[in-house]
Amino acid sequence: MPTTRNQKTLSPKLDFTSVLLFTLLVFFGFLNIYSASSGGQSGFSLQVNQVATKQLIWMTGAFLLIILVTFSNPNFFEFTGYLFYGITVLLCLAVLLVGREVSGAKSWFGFAGIGIQPSEFAKFGTSLALAKFLGTYGVRFKGWKNIGISLAIFLLPMAIVLKQNDTGSALVFFSFFLVLYREGLPGYVLLAAIWLMILAVLSIVLLAYQLSLIYWILVPLSGIALVFLYLFRKSRFWMAVTVGLVLASWGFTKIVSFTYKNVLYDYQRDRIEIILNLKKDDKGVGFNLIQSKIAIGAGRWTGRGFMEGTQTKMGFVPEQHTDFIFCTIGEEWGFIGVLLFLSVYFGLLFRLVLLAERQTTNFARVFGYSVISILFFHLCINIGMTIGLVPIIGIPLPFVSFGGSSLWAFTLLLFTFLKLDERRLSYA
Amino acid sequence: MNLLKNRRFTFYFMFSLLGLIFLVRIFSLQVLDEGNYKKAVNNALKKITIYPSRGIIYDRHGNLLVYNGPVYDLIVFPGALKGLDTAGICALLRMDRKEFDKRLEQARVKAKTQRRRDNSFNRSATFLSNLPIADYTRIQENLYRYKGFYLEQKTDRLYGNQAAAHLVGYIGEVTEKMLARDPYYKNGDLAGITGIERGYEKYLRGKKGVRTVLQDRFYTEKGSAEGGKFDSIAMAGPDIFSSIDLSLQQFGEQLLHGRIGSIVAIEPNTGEILALVNKPDYRPDLLIGPNRNKHFQELIRDQGKPLYNRAIRGVYPPGSTFKPVIALIGRQEQVLTPATTHGCAGGYRMGNLTVGCHPHGSPINLAQSLAISCNAYYCEVFRDIIDNPKYNSVRDGWTKMESYLNSFGLGTKMGIDIPGEVAGNIPSLAYLDKRHGKKWRSSTIISLAIGQGEILLTPLQMANVAAIIANRGYFYTPHAIHGIGPEKFKPEAFLVRHRVMVDTLYFESVIEGMADVMVPGGTAWNAAIPSLTICGKTGTSQNPHGEDHSLFIGFAPRNNPKIAIAVVVENAGYGATWAAPIATLMMEHFLKAEHEPSKAPHLLKKLLIMPGQNANNTQPKNP
Repeated sequence: MPTTRNQKTLSPKLDFTSVLLFTLLVFFGFLNIYSASSGGQSGFSLQVNQVATKQLIWMTGAFLLIILVTFSNPNFFEFTGYLFYGITVLLCLAVLLVGREVSGAKSWFGFAGIGIQPSEFAKFGTSLALAKFLGTYGVRFKGWKNIGISLAIFLLPMAIVLKQNDTGSALVFFSFFLVLYREGLPGYVLLAAIWLMILAVLSIVLLAYQLSLIYWILVPLSGIALVFLYLFRKSRFWMAVTVGLVLASWGFTKIVSFTYKNVLYDYQRDRIEIILNLKKDDKGVGFNLIQSKIAIGAGRWTGRGFMEGTQTKMGFVPEQHTDFIFCTIGEEWGFIGVLLFLSVYFGLLFRLVLLAERQTTNFARVFGYSVISILFFHLCINIGMTIGLVPIIGIPLPFVSFGGSSLWAFTLLLFTFLKLDERRLSYA
Repeated sequence: MNLLKNRRFTFYFMFSLLGLIFLVRIFSLQVLDEGNYKKAVNNALKKITIYPSRGIIYDRHGNLLVYNGPVYDLIVFPGALKGLDTAGICALLRMDRKEFDKRLEQARVKAKTQRRRDNSFNRSATFLSNLPIADYTRIQENLYRYKGFYLEQKTDRLYGNQAAAHLVGYIGEVTEKMLARDPYYKNGDLAGITGIERGYEKYLRGKKGVRTVLQDRFYTEKGSAEGGKFDSIAMAGPDIFSSIDLSLQQFGEQLLHGRIGSIVAIEPNTGEILALVNKPDYRPDLLIGPNRNKHFQELIRDQGKPLYNRAIRGVYPPGSTFKPVIALIGRQEQVLTPATTHGCAGGYRMGNLTVGCHPHGSPINLAQSLAISCNAYYCEVFRDIIDNPKYNSVRDGWTKMESYLNSFGLGTKMGIDIPGEVAGNIPSLAYLDKRHGKKWRSSTIISLAIGQGEILLTPLQMANVAAIIANRGYFYTPHAIHGIGPEKFKPEAFLVRHRVMVDTLYFESVIEGMADVMVPGGTAWNAAIPSLTICGKTGTSQNPHGEDHSLFIGFAPRNNPKIAIAVVVENAGYGATWAAPIATLMMEHFLKAEHEPSKAPHLLKKLLIMPGQNANNTQPKNP
């Protein structure tokens, strides 16, 4: 219809609010990267600050990507969804063979002095693939086959990334469960996940204190189950469910205990025990967390000022311009700054949910929720670890942390969704 | 489908919950917990102490006694030594691996204690101290290779001459006790341990400065913090003019060389100590530099006790030098006039008690009794004082006597400004009861009358007695300084005139007798100096350690005295033999013009050509 075509050409607009919030985050990130990597230099000069210079190059690249996405045909992403997925999964596999090892993880391609991390782009490919699958006409998130395929779509790259020894990036793929939840995964699955998390933490605490899992988990669990069995005495079904839950919980506990003892590396065990306050090691593994908390705490209400944060610029905080960039924000901008920063970040998340819900195609909505869930997961883990709420898991703070791969991948994710959102009008 | 659309609220809920958790946690870290800010500041700042130069010590005329030279401490951050080239630094410091490890472990412990004390995050400790400048230049050049080490400049003491070791004292590394008492000090600091160095430590040390620099987590300096806002400059300690007269001091050390004993000379109208000589003594420069500990151990083990400050720590029965004090108290108590005579037939007898005396004419008056030092006379006076019917009992009489003696600064610490002084002993009632049982009488304690028995004085107290008599009834607390800084400031305590309980008018008759000591017929007439009116009193104090101590107290000139003195020569026999000529030569040396020859060459010859028997084994050691 000519009218709609006109409408489209007249208002080819990306969502202004989202673009604004994105721009704020990226430039604020750059300021903090600059400060964190200044190494005690004062004054603003890119010549001495190579890290900031690099980030500026990544930002330029991200801008080019945005232009590319903006001028592309939105259908392109839907058509090539599986292709992108295939390419990124293959890249992840390839990196296992020819990749470069960076701090224990073999997840980088290195060429021309620049490192590329395919696992960052795998999130994009996986989002496209999941969206395309669930967006296919007639496919609903129902039936074992469809559920199985949906799970397989993100569990496959997750397994490969885990094999790369990049646990943090692998965990990110769990965020797709949130997407599935929005698409119809029963709510009790999420409840079950929370219950398993509680059980896991409890088991680890007990293991660390060398207390008996039988006495502290199985016995009280069975006690509660007996009460429920009495309450449900009229329904065989619920009695079976109760017994099944207890058995499943116990089985899970045993799995956690086995994993904890035999599968995890020492450093991972240390990180978990430190976050659970089971271990104190201020000079060793705990040093990073303590310094990180000191840095944020040093900001007080208004912060120590741009480039005045000694904790970060003197190198007391590890990975200060990448994974621990939030320390610099906390130290130099204070609680007021953090409040504004988190407002922008959560504002973007709320805005994206709003956009996702107004999509007219399943493809766009699923893709939108993928973007939201991935960002949410990163935010939760990254800031959570710097303030000591979750174990240290090395994943970047999207748009803010230093790094080309992550900036480009998240830019791609966000702007592809914004482009899909823009297209929405043409179907209206 | 609509139902699924509602699931967006779950997302809203999750976002809100996470945001809330974050904000609460960050609020508690940033706003509620104030410690983080302090920790961050501590982390990044390294405080480098700038040591001020210690005050210089001069004699009263401005002659240099003690001054400063640079030495260096090697400081280590034990926590920053990862990847240290141990072999390299061992070679640089010229020590073997075992020694290096031992010192590092000590530094680690020290740093830990310091950390606990200051509740700080990381701290350094001294690894090597007092390196001379030659080592400094060698080490400094290569030290950049070894992260965690740096050199800090301090000053150590140098000595203008080797005189007055006990009076100026020495400095050393602060003890745990000083560290605990005064937060000014940190591990490895140098502080005065004895003498003026200790007594005026608070002045001499000056004020430490601090340079605050930023450091990264490898303890590498990254420039001055906040443009030097936190820095403070070091303030040098003020110079101190000691009260001693260097020339007199050196002359005294010469006279006493080879003997065991002490000379204390006081300027009566100020209380300033003009000379404080102890023999045996030590060369002060043995106790500086990297070998100070070794030398210190040697001096501690030395049989002659060269570190022992006899002048303020040694106690001796004053013997006959005590008689002028008894006479003065007798005069004040109205039991004695210049004309009072007592007979003496070879001693004092009462029942089966005899206090012997040497043969001399009888009866004698007060002046004669001092000149010839009659024992019987003083036994009479002593009993007249404490058995005086105006006191109910001998106990009250002695109590009165005790308060007289206390007013002379006896039996109590005088409050001199160098540490280690002892009180001596004036027996209290309790003391006498314990010694003699409750039923003692004046005859029981009669030997106190002639300065024997339980009475013990330090040479300083004896000199102060001489100063009191010279002043006709008052004294200033003896002190070792002439003044602090260019204004010659003196602490208030040394400007207070202490009156004794004997009135001025009673002194002249005693002084008359003390002048007679120095004329033919007097006990010390052979030590007299022509044309100098000296008043003195000899003493020969019996002691359980061997031959009698030779004692003398005196002052000169008789009118408007300029110097009061006490001399103790241990186990040297009669007071007249050694102590008296030493004292009179000292007084002459002080009073005559500098290049004027002595009028008593025979005394000089006797003392300087016939040094004491200890001459050989107390030769000052060469470092």
